[in-house]
Amino acid sequence: MICEHCKQRNATVTVTQVQNGQKVEHHYCDVCASQFHPFHAEFKQEPVSIQQLLSNWFGSPTWQKVGEKQQAPPQQQTCPQCGFTYKRFLKEGKFGCPSCYDTFSEHLPKLFNRIQAGPQHIGKMPGAQNNVFVIKKQIEDIRKRMKAAVDEEQFEEAAKLRDEAKNLEQQLQFEGGDVS
Amino acid sequence: MMIESFLERATPAWMDMEDDYSDIVISTRIRLARNLDGFRFPLVFSENEALQVEQAVTHAIQDSSKLQERYSYFSIKDLTSLQRQILVEKHLISPQLAKKEQVGAMLLSEDESICIMVNEEDHLRIQCMTASFQLQKAYEQANKIDRALEGALPYAFRDTFGYLTSCPTNIGTGLRASVMMHLPALTLTGQMNQIINAMTRLGMTVRGIYGEGSENLGNIYQVSNQITLGKTEEDILADIQSVAEKIIQKERQARSKLMEKAELALEDRVYRALGTLTHARILTSEEAATCISNVRLGVDLQLIDNIKATSLNECVVSMQPGFLQHYAGEVLPPAERDRARAKMLREALFLETKSKPIIGGKGEDSYDV
Repeated sequence: MICEHCKQRNATVTVTQVQNGQKVEHHYCDVCASQFHPFHAEFKQEPVSIQQLLSNWFGSPTWQKVGEKQQAPPQQQTCPQCGFTYKRFLKEGKFGCPSCYDTFSEHLPKLFNRIQAGPQHIGKMPGAQNNVFVIKKQIEDIRKRMKAAVDEEQFEEAAKLRDEAKNLEQQLQFEGGDVS
Repeated sequence: MMIESFLERATPAWMDMEDDYSDIVISTRIRLARNLDGFRFPLVFSENEALQVEQAVTHAIQDSSKLQERYSYFSIKDLTSLQRQILVEKHLISPQLAKKEQVGAMLLSEDESICIMVNEEDHLRIQCMTASFQLQKAYEQANKIDRALEGALPYAFRDTFGYLTSCPTNIGTGLRASVMMHLPALTLTGQMNQIINAMTRLGMTVRGIYGEGSENLGNIYQVSNQITLGKTEEDILADIQSVAEKIIQKERQARSKLMEKAELALEDRVYRALGTLTHARILTSEEAATCISNVRLGVDLQLIDNIKATSLNECVVSMQPGFLQHYAGEVLPPAERDRARAKMLREALFLETKSKPIIGGKGEDSYDV
């Protein structure tokens, strides 16, 4: 079947729309399908596969136009552990290894904002990380109190807080966390 | 335990439970996706990596003193295709794991309520199931296993993205909570499409019982969360809880509306279905699923009182191709399966109903004989 929009490429995506209670089916190639707004299109295969979603929203056709201005197109980056490029990630809809998340970290929040509730994990953590997280929070809190003490010229209190923070930083290093 | 003992029972012991929700909710499932840092994901890893992951996970599970349950280990490649099919039909493993040629394993608890899949799409998938609607209980179980394993396994985790997974739809919490529901009245009254659309907007999905892409065979739907990042586990569970409660309420309303407006038609539908199940000689899986759904509705509405809902759950599982062939002890071509299915259902429901003749129902009084 030929794409009903460009009338050139093979149709690979079926879009079912309900208009006045009547089901209407459209057949598009993936290039044309990716240019349509995803919220107006209900894909026949429920739910929309992640690959389809990624190539619709983040695929090359729209990006090539916008992306010319970007300095380092994400497609060029390669994960050192598994050799995945961002382009391959978009094609597969899946990552190759945990290091991919570090390699492409810059571009992921934008993606997660679309497909998830937000770009930041706020749930449970493995035990050790949980300790690191709690200590980091405590240090942050002490630093705030230290600044307030200095502002109020309570230097003795500030010095006490500084020592407290130092102790916690040492503990953080012991737990394997990054002090900065 | 031998694999045969897990294959023989159509429904495990944990399913045999009834509570306030069992008229609508069949089961609840929690899944946690986890991966090990330093190894590529199963999509691209080498056989050597697969083996190392499998050994690390299996040792962590079998050596953990914090885990109370005993687990039986099975490598997927050692199982025949029929055995794998039955495990999928019982929802113990995913179709994706069943397809694995070289790598992939499962660790199964004795009562079958916990199945840990190794090297499916992620290195580790902890899956806990309960009968009826018990999200919290299933999550607590999964969390306990996760906590016991996190000390022994180097989980792939980052502060920003949480638990790292092969597919970006699972990152963050790696938590998927699903509630399997029987929704015949909402389907019959044409409200399901509306519900499915509303659910999508709330970041949830409704699928057929075999997950992605499967049809809603026998009016059974699986409601699950789609969002895994940017929400806490508690929020995800609370959202699913409230949405599922809303659906239960709507289904109950639709059922009483049907009883009020079209009792005779409904009763006719229920008894015709029972008639088909107890007398038919050829039954396709679609027809059998529809009839079982209608009879189940009749049981839930107390139009039929001599069949237990749990027996119908068992029929839903055992009427599937893998089970039928296991039951028959041979490979059956599709036409033979339809015959075997009719025979199996006839026998199952005849035994159930033979203690009491199937008569009664208010519909009969209305006939002018």
